[in-house]
Amino acid sequence: MKLILALTVASLFGTGAYLLLNRDLVRVVLGIVIVSQASVLTLVASGLTRGDAPIEPRRGREISDPLSQAMALTAIVIGLAVTALLLIVVLRVARAYRTEQLSEVAETETERDARLEREAAASHADEEAAAR
Amino acid sequence: MTALVLALVIPWAVGAVLVLLDGERPVVGWVAVGAVAANVAALVVLAADVLSGGPVVVGTGEWPPGVGITLRADALGVLFAALSSLMLLAALVHEVVGAVRERAFPGLTVLLTAGLTGVFLTGDVFNFYVFFELAMTASYILATYGGARRELGAALVFMLVNLFGTFVFVLSVAGVYHLTGTLDMAILAERVRAVEPATGVVIAAGFFIAFSVKLGLFPFHFWLPTVYTRARPAVAAILSGSLANIGAYGMLRFGGELLAQELRYAATVLILIGCASIIYGGVLAVSRRTASEMLAYSAIGQVGYVLVAVGVGGPAGFAAAILYTVVNAVNKTMLFMTVRMRGPLVGAIFVVGALSVAGIPPAVGFAGKLELFRAVADEPALIVLFFLGSALSFVYVFQVYQYDFWREKREDPVRAWPQQVVAAVLALAVLAAGLWPEPLLALSRDAADVLRGGGG
Repeated sequence: MKLILALTVASLFGTGAYLLLNRDLVRVVLGIVIVSQASVLTLVASGLTRGDAPIEPRRGREISDPLSQAMALTAIVIGLAVTALLLIVVLRVARAYRTEQLSEVAETETERDARLEREAAASHADEEAAAR
Repeated sequence: MTALVLALVIPWAVGAVLVLLDGERPVVGWVAVGAVAANVAALVVLAADVLSGGPVVVGTGEWPPGVGITLRADALGVLFAALSSLMLLAALVHEVVGAVRERAFPGLTVLLTAGLTGVFLTGDVFNFYVFFELAMTASYILATYGGARRELGAALVFMLVNLFGTFVFVLSVAGVYHLTGTLDMAILAERVRAVEPATGVVIAAGFFIAFSVKLGLFPFHFWLPTVYTRARPAVAAILSGSLANIGAYGMLRFGGELLAQELRYAATVLILIGCASIIYGGVLAVSRRTASEMLAYSAIGQVGYVLVAVGVGGPAGFAAAILYTVVNAVNKTMLFMTVRMRGPLVGAIFVVGALSVAGIPPAVGFAGKLELFRAVADEPALIVLFFLGSALSFVYVFQVYQYDFWREKREDPVRAWPQQVVAAVLALAVLAAGLWPEPLLALSRDAADVLRGGGG
C-alpha cells in the first residue's frame, strides 16, 4: 500500500511539474492542480493508522487516523479556492495580452523592458556627453 | 491572552467586511488603517506580556491541551508579527493618503495582516499552512493591484511560483506528521530528535525550498525581479517588507527550533547558497539603472546575509539573522515607497535608506551588519565576503541615487507631501534605531533565546 501511494504521489507530482513548465497557460493551471492533488494524497497517506472511517467506527475494528483526513479536507478546500483565483488571473492575463501562451506574454514584456533599457542608456549617455 | 486573540480577530473580522466595501472611498481606507493600527497595538501589548512573563499559549475551542490547535506567542513570533504589521501599516497609510485605485486594496491588506499575524503566532504546523495560505491569497490579489498588463503578468508569475512552493510545504508537513505523529510545534521539536537524520533532512529540504521561494534566495529568485519591478510601489513595499518575513521566520522557526539537528547537517549548504545570493544580488543590482530593479536585486542579496547567519547558527547567528531581517524589512519598505516620488525630502529619505542598506552609521543597517560580522567572526572567508557584499551595496544604492536625484529632471517631480511624510517617519525610525540600537539588539537576542531552548 505504501509503495502504491508513494508511486502515485510521485507520478502525480512529476506530471504536475511537467505541465507547470508548459507554455500554455491552461496547462500550467492544470499542472498546479495536479501538484496540489499530489500533496493532498500525501496528507491522506501520512495517516498513522488505517481502518474504518472515523465518523462511523465499528466495534472492535481499528479506525483510520482522522487528523490526516481533516488536513486533507482543509487542503482540498484551500486548493479549490486558489485554483479558482488562479483561473481568474489567467483569464485576465489572456485578455490583456490577447494570448494564452506564456512565451508570448514573456516576449511582450522582454521587448518592453529592452526598449526602456535602451532609452535609459541613451539618456544616460546624453547626459554624460553634456557633462563633459 | 486577550491581546493574542484580539490581534488575530480584529483584522480578520474587519478585513472580511472591508473587502465587500468600495475601498476607493477614503473612509474605507481609514477604517482599514484603524484595524491594522489596532492589530499593531494589540501586538505591542502582547509583546510586553511575552517579554516580561514568558510565552503566551492559547488553546482554541477549549479543547484539552494536545488535542486542539494552539496559538503560541513567544518573543520570536511576536517580534516578527509586530514588524510585519508595522510595515503593512506604513504601506497602507502611504497608499491611503495618496489615492487607493482599486476597491479591494484596503480590505486585502487588512486580511494580509490577519494572515501574517496568524503565521507568526501559531503553535501548530498545519495551522501555519492555513494562515500562510490566507496571507498568500491576499497577496496574490494585491499583486494584481493596478490591473494593467504588467501587473497582471507579474501577479501570474508570483502566484504560480508561490503556489508550487506552498504545495512543497504541505508535502513536508505530511512527512513531519507521519514521522512524529503530532503537529504541535512544541511537542514536534522534542519528538523530531528521535527521527533518523537521513529522513529528517529530506523533510527539512522541503521546508527549505518552500521558504527560499518566499525569500527569493539565489536559485529560487527568478520570479522576484519581475514581480517587484512591475508591481506598484506600495505593493512591492508590502511584498518585500512584510510577506518576505515569512521566509526568514520559517527558516528560523523550522530550521532553528524544529529541525535543529538537520539544520546543523545542512549548515554548509545554507552558507554557500547565502553567499551565492549575496554576490548574485549585489552584482546584478550594480548593473541596474532604475531604482525598482536595483531594489529587487538588492532584496535577493540582502536575504543572503540572513541565510548565512542562520547557517552559522548559535545564539549569535540567530540573533544576527533576526536583527538583519528587521533592518532589511524597514529598509525595503521605505525605499520602495520612494520609487515614484521626487524632491529634496525624498532624496534625504533615500540617502537614509541607502546608508542603511550599505551598513553605514548612523543608520540602523550598521547595527545589523555589525551583528553579522560578530556572528561570523571566526570565519575569515565570510568576513571578506560580507565586506565585498557591503561594498557592492554601497555602489549600487548610491549609483541609483546619483542617477535619480542629482541630475536635472525633465519631467515634473511628483510632489505628494503626505506620502513623503510617511516615508520620512520610517527614515527617522531608521536613524533613531541606528543611534540607539540597544533596545533592538536586546529584542533580537530575546527572540534568539527562544530557538536555543527548542533546539537544545
